Amino acid sequence: MSNYRFDRLKILVVDDNVHMRKLVVTILQAFGVIQIFEADSGDRAWHILREANPDVIMLDWVMEGMSGLDLVQMIRTDPQTPNPFVPVIMLTGHTSLDHVARARDAGVNEFIAKPVSVKTVMSRLVAVIEHPRPYVRTQGYFGPCRRRRGAEEYRGPERRSEAPQQQAAE
Amino acid sequence: MKRQQPIELFMPPNMLKAKVGGGLGGIDLAAMKRAESAMETLKSEFGDWIAEDVAALIAARARYAKTPDAGARDALLRAAHDIKGQAPTFNYPLIARVAASLSRMIGEIPPGGAIPLSLVDAHVTAIQVIHKNRMQDTNDKTAQALCAELDARVDELVVVAAKT
Repeated sequence: MSNYRFDRLKILVVDDNVHMRKLVVTILQAFGVIQIFEADSGDRAWHILREANPDVIMLDWVMEGMSGLDLVQMIRTDPQTPNPFVPVIMLTGHTSLDHVARARDAGVNEFIAKPVSVKTVMSRLVAVIEHPRPYVRTQGYFGPCRRRRGAEEYRGPERRSEAPQQQAAE
Repeated sequence: MKRQQPIELFMPPNMLKAKVGGGLGGIDLAAMKRAESAMETLKSEFGDWIAEDVAALIAARARYAKTPDAGARDALLRAAHDIKGQAPTFNYPLIARVAASLSRMIGEIPPGGAIPLSLVDAHVTAIQVIHKNRMQDTNDKTAQALCAELDARVDELVVVAAKT
């Protein structure tokens, strides 16, 4: 039992598919979330983000125009961003390791692999509440640390220190 | 290994936890129960939703057939990708499988590479037939054979595309 006050959260749901948005919003409302903002594009999401400053963003990857990855990179690095630390949970049908790595490199905190279920939505929400990641800033990257544990002790090669931030291609 | 660039690692204050509380952490079972119940209510709409998604795919296919440019290709990929992600929720796992095959074909052939319309049509027609006949059982032998054939054709195409 956790007794989270989900009613205090502001969540932005971004997906260009109306059915997926309705599905996610229904789940969040049942959790008790009251302040839910919806956007059907990355551009609209950026606008809402700057006005509402949500606590969590649930974001689709594949969208027309600005992709989910593009939006995450803006959230993390754009000077106009209202909160570069806002947790981003990415909803995606892409589950290959390559895609997961690209999303992590863009600054995604957690993933929900479609099909969406109540259990995974709860689990990822709890993850961003209870187990936030430290943040990393290098010359080429800003965002959540990919290593869940032991980051402070890591002494291996620094991939991000030299690689430019990867541009989203999808 | 010596670090070449400055790396700043820091933990922002956990404002989210401060906001929502939750003494013991872990999942909120009561909230999950409410959400499962809400999903059951929503199921009555799933039939309409999958029909709309299939219609969107057919429209994207028609656009691509008429003008096979990058925009039409992206629209076709998005339509297939949406169905791939959502059809299992709508209880159409076979449609999800065919849509996954179509997404893979479009996604893995490099931009500018030819996507055979005949194979696009084979996928779209298969999705239409599965939907029209309400084939929701993954054990259907005919559907399994059809999916396997589509997978094999896409495999061949992707291998060739990777070599060129």
